[in-house]
Amino acid sequence: MRIAAGVDVGSTQTKAVLLQENGGFKIIARALTQTGANVQKAAENAFEECCRAAGIPTSDVGFVVGTGYGRYKITFGNAQMTEISCHARGAQFLCPGTRTVIDMGGQDSKAISVGPSGEVLDFMMNDKCAAGTGRFLANAADVMGLSLDEIGPISLQCKRPVKMATVCTVFVESDILSYLSQGKKAEDILGGVHLAIAKRTVSLARRVAVEPLITMTGGVANNIGMVRALEEVLGQKLQISPDAHYMGAVGAAIFAMEKLGQSFESGIWRDAYATSGGH
Amino acid sequence: MPLVAGIDCGTGFTKAVLLTQNVGTGQITIVSRGKSRSGINVDEAAGAALNDALARTGAARSDVDYIAATGFGRYNLSFRDIAITEITSAARGVFFLNPGPNAVLDVGSQCTRAISVTDQGKVREFKSNDKCAAGSGMFIARAAKYLEVPLESVGELSAKAAHPHPISSVCAVLAESEIINHVSSGVKVEDILRGIHDSLAERAGAMLKRVGMTDGITFIGGVARQSGMVTALEQRLKVKVNVPEECDFVCALGAGILGLRRLASRN
Repeated sequence: MRIAAGVDVGSTQTKAVLLQENGGFKIIARALTQTGANVQKAAENAFEECCRAAGIPTSDVGFVVGTGYGRYKITFGNAQMTEISCHARGAQFLCPGTRTVIDMGGQDSKAISVGPSGEVLDFMMNDKCAAGTGRFLANAADVMGLSLDEIGPISLQCKRPVKMATVCTVFVESDILSYLSQGKKAEDILGGVHLAIAKRTVSLARRVAVEPLITMTGGVANNIGMVRALEEVLGQKLQISPDAHYMGAVGAAIFAMEKLGQSFESGIWRDAYATSGGH
Repeated sequence: MPLVAGIDCGTGFTKAVLLTQNVGTGQITIVSRGKSRSGINVDEAAGAALNDALARTGAARSDVDYIAATGFGRYNLSFRDIAITEITSAARGVFFLNPGPNAVLDVGSQCTRAISVTDQGKVREFKSNDKCAAGSGMFIARAAKYLEVPLESVGELSAKAAHPHPISSVCAVLAESEIINHVSSGVKVEDILRGIHDSLAERAGAMLKRVGMTDGITFIGGVARQSGMVTALEQRLKVKVNVPEECDFVCALGAGILGLRRLASRN
């Protein structure tokens, strides 16, 4: 049995995934750590934690592919791939039929147009502005005195979304404070926040072709409020894998497994994933 | 002689200027200035700034004949007689201090503006950015916080930079991790601060070009107090940068001047 790993060193969090080849491909372990200032250490920690979770020594892992902004700092990696390729490949694996990926991470957001076999046709990236990233949402949650996990569900209760004057992560603080002082409800403010970000992200996505199926990846996919707001603006459903947060690492692990000399067919992966039961 | 207050309800600070005018000669005199921190309540901050200005003169609140409000919070100021946009106020204030056509750069806490002023003191064209913190004073304030430098020292420190270190992130939030990386790799604080000033100067330069820059600009707003920013502008834009004294009171001054005129026409 061959084991390959993908390590996605993101700007905020580092994700690692172990993939096993056993008549198909199966995710056998996942790990998540904060990236922090020491990128190299974060990658090592995530990888080692992942091996511990699978109960195997790190030496059992045949090939490691690194991805994410810190990929070149992974000392133990055998190869590097861009996170664009990894998200596309991972999304095609876990959500077969994916033609568009919307990835919202800690400090950037991307829209990727994906070909039938998971190849990247086109992409657009926003890494110049924190609007549309986890950082924006974390800031908004902070100003509201809520945790990041709470804001999505609360925003779903929104009846009359407020209109945001700006989507700047810095200025949103005074925007939210002024709405709070006007006595606006938390759900209406958060509804407005999610809607403003969704519109911005969809306009980024429209610059590549937005074709179904659309899969959302990255940590922000855990925010149900953002998922629903994006669906509303797009006018269609999003595919959300339970491993959406790990998608870059999953894609990297698939590339790693390929390098190990395996060939496979997408039907087998899908079945294998279904029997692995996700999380 | 009439006593008029111009109050600039900015996003960071509220500034008040008391003015009077000689009825015979038309000569306008600045009586005093006052300042307070803006909070959620505009009336409170404006009252504090006005009282600060009054306290320096011995005049009472009831002696003020007319109040002209300007700035972001002007419509929330309940005791105003008139509300004037900060663009018009800035143009008028600069023209009073420096008669003739002007290219004005106003960098405040949350908004940056480039204004071209005609030889009559009117606004010819302007561009403003209040949608993104990258070009605003808030960018500097946040950077100062990460660098643990008091905001008052930023300007002097930055002016001392020997090897300005460029900041590649455009976003004030994303720049945070970049700044932390620079600090941990041993870049000097003054070189980072100057990199931030350079980045602001770059963005301001683009706005100034769009409104038409002359060979000199007048730089106003709270950020104009930072000498490093002035140096950055002079070096990047290759223009002479003129900073009026009390540069953060120019909008309040301009509003007051327009208030005087309105009051005279009313009487």
